[in-house]
Amino acid sequence: MSKNTEVLYGLYNDEEILLDALRNANKKGIEVMEVYTPFPVHGLDDVLGLSESRLHIAGFVYGILGTMTAFGVMTWIFTRDWPIIFGGKPYFSAPAFIPITFELTVLFACVGMVVTFYTICGMGPGITNPVLDDRITDDKFCIAFNVNDASNEDINGLKSFFKETGAEEINTKTI
Amino acid sequence: MSDHNHNIDITERFEFTSKEKMVLIGMMALGLICLVATYFMGGKDGELRFWTNFLHNSVFFTGIAFISMFLLAAKVLAYSGWHTVWKRLLEAKAQFLIFGLIFMGVILLGTKLEWHHLYHWAFPGITDPANKDCYDPIIAGKSGFLNTGFYALATFGFGLIWYLCVVLFRRLSLSEDKNGDESYSHHKKMKIVSAFFMPFGGFTSAALIWLWIMSIDSHWYSTMFAWYATASWLVSAVALLILTIIYLKSRGYFSYVSGEHLHDLGKYLFGFSVFWTYLWFSQFMLIWYANIGEETIYFDGRMTNYPVLFWGNLIMNFVLPLLILLRNDTKRKYGTLVLVCCITLFGHWVDFFQMIKPGALHTEHEYHEYACATHDHHDTKNDHGHHDHDDAKDGHHDKKGDDKHEHDTKSYEGHDKSHNSDGGHGEKQGSVGGDHGHHGHKFQMGFDIPGLLELGTFIGFLGLFFFVVFSSLAKAPLVPPNDPYLGESLHHHVGYGGGNMEGDHDHH
Repeated sequence: MSKNTEVLYGLYNDEEILLDALRNANKKGIEVMEVYTPFPVHGLDDVLGLSESRLHIAGFVYGILGTMTAFGVMTWIFTRDWPIIFGGKPYFSAPAFIPITFELTVLFACVGMVVTFYTICGMGPGITNPVLDDRITDDKFCIAFNVNDASNEDINGLKSFFKETGAEEINTKTI
Repeated sequence: MSDHNHNIDITERFEFTSKEKMVLIGMMALGLICLVATYFMGGKDGELRFWTNFLHNSVFFTGIAFISMFLLAAKVLAYSGWHTVWKRLLEAKAQFLIFGLIFMGVILLGTKLEWHHLYHWAFPGITDPANKDCYDPIIAGKSGFLNTGFYALATFGFGLIWYLCVVLFRRLSLSEDKNGDESYSHHKKMKIVSAFFMPFGGFTSAALIWLWIMSIDSHWYSTMFAWYATASWLVSAVALLILTIIYLKSRGYFSYVSGEHLHDLGKYLFGFSVFWTYLWFSQFMLIWYANIGEETIYFDGRMTNYPVLFWGNLIMNFVLPLLILLRNDTKRKYGTLVLVCCITLFGHWVDFFQMIKPGALHTEHEYHEYACATHDHHDTKNDHGHHDHDDAKDGHHDKKGDDKHEHDTKSYEGHDKSHNSDGGHGEKQGSVGGDHGHHGHKFQMGFDIPGLLELGTFIGFLGLFFFVVFSSLAKAPLVPPNDPYLGESLHHHVGYGGGNMEGDHDHH
């Protein structure tokens, strides 16, 4: 946002062509800025060399937090703060706490993971993210290169890379 | 994409080696020896121990065979593709069904001819109101369902229709190998078989579980029980499936069944373990919360007198699979996967053990107090070394039995006036598992925990099961070559970024 990025991007029609193009780029040692696809493409993570997401570890932590919150608060309320006998059960009735504990575990894990995911991705209310091309949310697969400091020669090389690998369209955009 | 199929031979056939046959026959022999030994040397209540072990393992493995067919049907109907490479395993496992039904036939014959007293409802004269000493109004009220005639009709009527579906499905699958065509006519016919089997099997399995297992605690019933027992079968079947795949991979087959497939099967194991827990807990929670004596008797007896079974069940079938399989990578490592499969397979075997044993032991004790127990049988029992046990208890038990009976009839009549339609209320005093008032529960090997004889019997049944499975597996190619979903199955990918399993083909 502080500095605009000059982006050269190519649009592909099929995810298999996209994957082949990326393998080609890896072979040539071309640095890819970002890849946009309308749906998750199997094997894309491997080709881009992305490491496994750690979001689920965060999810586990939030879940445990929910478990402890629910169980702890119910225990405190029913044994210390406001003990009431329900149906002749003891004050500390663990089986009766389990459904709510389960619900709060799920709630904490879900909400926590959504918030974390939005934060990581820089998304959220009031934030507008630049979109290279509307069709990458529909049926086009996109490879984007950062060409801020690229010479004309480099740009021509990237354009010929797009042509070789079967890109349907080649465009530039400043975001 | 062409490099996907590199080095993959999908025409391979499983060879049932003589070494495997020897091992499996050895296991069967061990099981047979253990069964016979249980009958004659099973300690106090040895005969009962024999019959409960036989019922326990028959039900367990029949269930695994049934669930294998159920999974096949579900997958065909759901347009599933990824299972095709290992679907022959499900077909082979379902073949065991006929053996299971024969074993259940033996149990039925034993019920009819009074070789055992597993089922309280089968006591002679118990439904006869004219015979005041033997009559049990609660059981009499259920006798329209709980009788040997219906037991036979359900076991063989329903069971043989299941088996018919298994045979039809298998025949279509084998025929597809040879005559599979582009219009996928075989697959379409498999869908018809599956569409029939799913609802039919779903409903009838519940009735069979009520008859085979739940009716051991004849006075008690739970509407969650069939679900819960089926979920137990389901987890066992998935665990056994994963173990079989890993064994076949270790023998050099199934190179195309990759970490992707095992990852998804691991998710099944995880998901169904949690599902089982959900059902277990729902049943427990409802009964615990309502706190009605007729219902709590089931759990009270098990929690008080069988704590190892009760808590061990939850640890093996919920806590351990949850904690081990929660991580992604444990579903893709042979070590953790084998470990958790063994835990859950044994755990659910123990689950069935605790469904059957406490109730059966209680029923056996009821039989000794039972006024209409045949004298012949009492004599035989005494010859087998039950003399002390019976004599020591006979004195006060006779009296207590009478008191109880009067009390029972009264309370039942009371109920009858207020809830006419609700015939199931009014449980006998005393809790499950031989806790007769001031007599404390005494530890009995083979009832409180599975002993060596039980483990041996389990190994024997496992041997027979795999003998049937491997024999069936050897008769056809390991992968159905003309299945319409074969390609999808070979390219199955779950999108996990953590790397491949040892020995997997590189996908790219």
